[in-house]
Parts: sequence; structure tokens; C-alpha cells
Amino acid sequence: MNEAPCIRVVDVHKKFGPLEVLKGVSFDVHRGSVVSMIGASGSGKSTLLRCINYLEVPSAGAIYIEGESLGFQEDAAGRRSARPLRDINRMRRDLGVVFQQYNLWPHMTVLGNIVEAPIRVRGLSRKEAVRVADECLRRVRLSDKAHEYPARLSGGQQQRAAIARALAMRPKVMLFDEPTSSLDPELTDEVLNVMRELAEAGSTMIVVTHEMDFARDVSDRVLFLHDGLIDEEGRPGQVFTAPRSERCRQFLAKYLK
Amino acid sequence: MSEALRQSLDLALFWEYRFVLFGGLLFNAAIFACAAAAALVLGLCAALLRVSLMRPLRWGGTVYVELFRNAPDYVMLVWVHFVLPLLLGLALRTRIEFHPFVSAVVALGLVYSGYFAETFRAGIQAIPKGNIEAGRAVGMSEALILRRITLPQVVWRMLPEALNIFVSLFKATTIVSLIAVPDLMYRVSMVTQQEMRPLPLYTGAALTYFAVILVVATLLRWASERWRRTVLV
Amino acid sequence: MGNWERLVWNQRELLLSGLNVTVEICVLAFVGSVLGGLVLCLIRLYVAPLRPIAILLIEFFRATPIFVQLMWVNYVWPEILGWPNTFFTAGWVALALQSSGYLAETFRTGIEAVPKAHREAGSSLGMSRLLILHRIVMPQALLTAAPSLVNQFTVIVKSSTLVSVITVPDLMFQSQKIVNIWYEPIEVLTATAAIYIALIFLVSQAGKYISDWLRRTFGLHA
Repeated sequence: MNEAPCIRVVDVHKKFGPLEVLKGVSFDVHRGSVVSMIGASGSGKSTLLRCINYLEVPSAGAIYIEGESLGFQEDAAGRRSARPLRDINRMRRDLGVVFQQYNLWPHMTVLGNIVEAPIRVRGLSRKEAVRVADECLRRVRLSDKAHEYPARLSGGQQQRAAIARALAMRPKVMLFDEPTSSLDPELTDEVLNVMRELAEAGSTMIVVTHEMDFARDVSDRVLFLHDGLIDEEGRPGQVFTAPRSERCRQFLAKYLK
Repeated sequence: MSEALRQSLDLALFWEYRFVLFGGLLFNAAIFACAAAAALVLGLCAALLRVSLMRPLRWGGTVYVELFRNAPDYVMLVWVHFVLPLLLGLALRTRIEFHPFVSAVVALGLVYSGYFAETFRAGIQAIPKGNIEAGRAVGMSEALILRRITLPQVVWRMLPEALNIFVSLFKATTIVSLIAVPDLMYRVSMVTQQEMRPLPLYTGAALTYFAVILVVATLLRWASERWRRTVLV
Repeated sequence: MGNWERLVWNQRELLLSGLNVTVEICVLAFVGSVLGGLVLCLIRLYVAPLRPIAILLIEFFRATPIFVQLMWVNYVWPEILGWPNTFFTAGWVALALQSSGYLAETFRTGIEAVPKAHREAGSSLGMSRLLILHRIVMPQALLTAAPSLVNQFTVIVKSSTLVSVITVPDLMFQSQKIVNIWYEPIEVLTATAAIYIALIFLVSQAGKYISDWLRRTFGLHA
């Protein structure tokens, strides 16, 4: 395992108007590890994940991707503003995101969705991109649906296609934002299994989830967020069986009944 | 009464002048083509302004759209043909005159760009935000997202409404006869003055437009529905 | 600017009389088109033997440009039917015909959008078909159609500018008259354009307000 952390989050705050959703979060993610973020709705876990990919701009604090700051510039009033979008987009290529709502583009086939960014953002040739796409489709076991439109697929299939789309960019880190929350219970397993395989293959992953079994069995570290702060963190064995925080204990009691 | 009815349905006169009259239709078509192109481009720009993140741009777009969307075609036509050249002439200290064809294209292009702008805006705002975020998440630039994700979906979604606007625009080209563009209606009135028999000519004109528009509009709608069904959204 | 005063403000009586005529013609045309549209729509839906005629008329009124219809009603109808006998009448009749075609379709959409379940509820209570149509279907259809009705009124106002061509003394006619007296079109035509744009803008804002109110009060319909 690499010594220097892949992702460093340092004292990140995020305000939406008067509401402060993140109140100073810090943690590291090392190459090859799987970090799960759990917590109640409104605890800030999704916002935190979206900050790492710059879909939200933190109000304070810093985020480093492989040592490079996601680059906030401060003006005279201390307000943060974005780095040039070109740089941000360059860094985004190395961060794969899987959304709760899959967000597949409805006017392209599954294959079209997957090859779009590799061709247009990474500049691969179509032939090369399709080769990569086929490999990713195989990994998520969706090869037979390559030429279907997303509307024809079940929720589980769409989410696996979304995972393949993120994988095709060969990201250094995969970010999962409640990937199974929109799925019917029968369909969550197929997605969780794919994620398990990715973890076993050594991917670096940050997963926001309500699936406690997954968090306990697959993660290397678990972060419990409450009210914008990390209330408890550690190895799953410790967090799930003997949490130090009372709130964490109450939260887990509800889920593991 | 039956004599008049018989006369108006006796389209022989209309048929006699058919080359002159149908030649006028070509003018309608030409003005339609140019104005439609202008209206699409201007309408798209105005729609993008209206959904922009910067307030002055949004405001500018709204003013543009409300100004032209609420303007009657005929008023705009007369204003562009008679007033605009004078204003430009004052500004450039010279005497300017617009060729009626140009005035027609500009006037109709501006008015219908207002309608297209509203249509495009509704289409753009109907696209789920998640689609855009997925594009950002893989590092696509805003321009790329617009081109590959937003616009295709806008076109698909708004095609029926856009077709309606096109049909209205074609119908609107009939007023260009009032600034002496030699379209079908203009030639009908010229021939009427010569032959002093308005009944078959105006009836023929009405039937011609009816037939052309009905056939073309139905074909376009059928084709558009077929195309839309092939892209399952 | 002196010109504004001379050409526009001093002529305000003439312009206002023109505006008056415009409003008159538009209101008459609107009422006529609502009635005509309703008749055409109901015949199309419920009077089977006359359905093809209704459909033909609807398509004809929709597909023919308003200017062409205006000329046709003004020059051809008096010869065949002996009516209309004034340009004013020809004006609002032509406008009404064009809009009745569109409104017939609007009403049809509104009627067909009323859920079948509502009709079934009525008949399970023993209501006759006519009663159901009258008390359950039409009210809902009209509510759904209200925003389109307002929109069609703005279309009528915009099309009414063409009646000046058949010498009806509307706002457009009067302003062109002023231009022809003094040969200075800039102020008059710009003021006329502004009046029309403002009028239509106000009507469409009222329409938005009405449809928001309808949505709030009765729930969102198609």
C-alpha cells in the first residue's frame, strides 16, 4: 500500500446559505482501500462525496487528490472560488462517480454511454474505447445489453451500466453515492456483488451507503457521520461491534436489529 | 348564389395561371427557409441566455424573448421594412433601403426566434440535472455537455412543438405580399386586378395553401414520430 | 422629441379609436371562435354521421393561413352567401374561423383528458350521458383548456393587425394613416408596435396567472 494517501480531506466545511452541512471533516484514503461512509439522512455524507468530485464547492478546507489540491482560490473576503474548469475536469477523469439515480444518458445506448467520455475526454479512438467498454461490460456482467437503450433496462442493470461507464475512464478512485438506494431489494445484490468484486480486485473506493452488511464485510475503514462531523471512525470490526460514540451505537442499533 | 358558387369552384382560371401562381409559392418557401434558419439559431442563443447562470444575461434573454414573442407578425414586418432602414440610415448617416425579401426574412426570423427560444428553454430545463452531473463527473467540459447531452435531448423532446412553429411560420409568409414580395398571394391579387374575377383565384389560393400545408405537415409529423420512436427515451 | 408629441401624442384620439376597434374585433372573434370551436368539437366527438365534415372543417381552418382566410371571407363569401356585408364583420368572422379550428382541437384534448374513471363514477350513480357530459366532463375540459384559450386570444390579437388590409379602422390602420399623412413612420410605427407588444404581454401574463391559479385550486391537469 502506498504511503502517501490517495485522497486527503482537510477540515472541509460546506454551507448552503445559512445551513452548514459539513462542519469540519478530515480524513485520508489510501490507495487500494475501501472506505464506507454511513450515517443518517442529512448527516452530510453525500455532500462530502460530491465535494471530492467538485460537484459541490467546499466553503472552507482543502481536498487533495494525489497530492494536488482540488484548487480553491480565495478572494479578499475569504470566499472560495473554483479553479479553472479545465483543470478540474482533468482531475475529474481520475475520479469515477456512480450516482444514486444512475444518470445514464437516455438518448445513447449502453455502449454509447460508456464510450462517450473515453472518446471525447480522454481522446481514445473509437476502436480502443469500444475495447475498453467491452472489458468493463464483462466485469459488470452486462455484455449482452451493450446495444440497448437505458430505458429498456432494469434498475439493477442500469446501475451496473453506470458502474461500467465510470470504470471505462480507468479512474484512480471510485466514488459511490448510495448506489443501491433507488433499487428494489431484489436488485441490490447484483450491484453489491459487482462492487465487492471491484474491492477484491484492489480498487480504491469511497462508498456512501445504507447497506451495513456491505460496509462491514467489504470496507477497510468505516466513517460514521453525524450532523456534519465524523463522529466515529475505524476498522469495521471495531465500529460495528464496539463503537465509542453513543450516537453511532444508536444508529447501528436501528439498522442491525 | 349558385352562379357565384359555380364560378368560384370553376378553378380553370386559377389553373390557367398556374405557373405564375405556383412560382409565387417558391417565394413563400424561400422566405420560410431563410427565416426558419435564422429563427432557430437566434432562438437557441436566446434560450441559452435565459438559462445562463449570470443574471444580466438571463435578463437580456428574457427581454429579447418577450419582445419578439409578443409582437404581431404584420407589425414587425412593417416596422422592419419601413422604420429600421431609417434608423440605420440615421446612425450611419446615409440612406438605406431594405429589399422586401430581406425585411420579410428579418421580421419573421425575429418573431419566430421568440417562439423557438421558449420551446428550447422548456426543453433544456426538462433535462434531469443528474444527466448533466454525470457528464461533469467524467470530466466533460460544459460545451461538450451542451453539444452531446443537452441538445440531443432537447431536440428529441421538443420536436413536435418545433414542427408546429415551423407550420405557423410557413403560414405567416403569406403576409409578405403586403410589402410587395411576389409570393402566391401577391400574384393572386395582381391577376385579380387584371382579370377582375376574384372568386376562383382566392378560392384556388385557399385550397392550394390548405393542400400544401396539410400534406407537408402530416408527412413531417409522421416522419418525426417514426424517428422519435427509434430513439427510446 | 417634438416628433413624438406631434405624431403620436397629438394623434392619440385617432390611435385610441383604432385600439377600440381592435379590441372590439378581437372580443367578437374570440367569442365566435369559442362557440365555433365547441360546436365543431362536439360534432366531431358525438355526432357520428357529421364527423368527416367536422374534421375537414377543422383541418381547413387550421391549415389555411389567416391572411388567405381573410381574403377569402372578404371577397368570396359576399358573392356566394351575400354576407358578410361589412369589412368589420368579414374581419372578425375570418379571425373566428381560424381560431375555432385550433380551439376545437384544444377542447377535444381537454375532453379526452378527463379520466374515464370520472365518467364511470357518474354512470354508476345513474347519471345520463348528457348529464355526465354537462356536469362532469365539460367543466373539467374547460378548466384544462383555459390556458390555451388565453393563448388563442393573444393569437387573435396578433392576427387582427391584418384586418387593416381590408380597411377596417383598427389600430394598425390608423397608425398607417398617420404615416401616410406625414411620411414620418419612425415614431408612430414604433409606438404602435409598443402598444401591441404591451397589450399582448399583459394578456399572456394574465393567462399565466390564471393557469397558476387553476393548478393551485384544482390540481394539475394536462
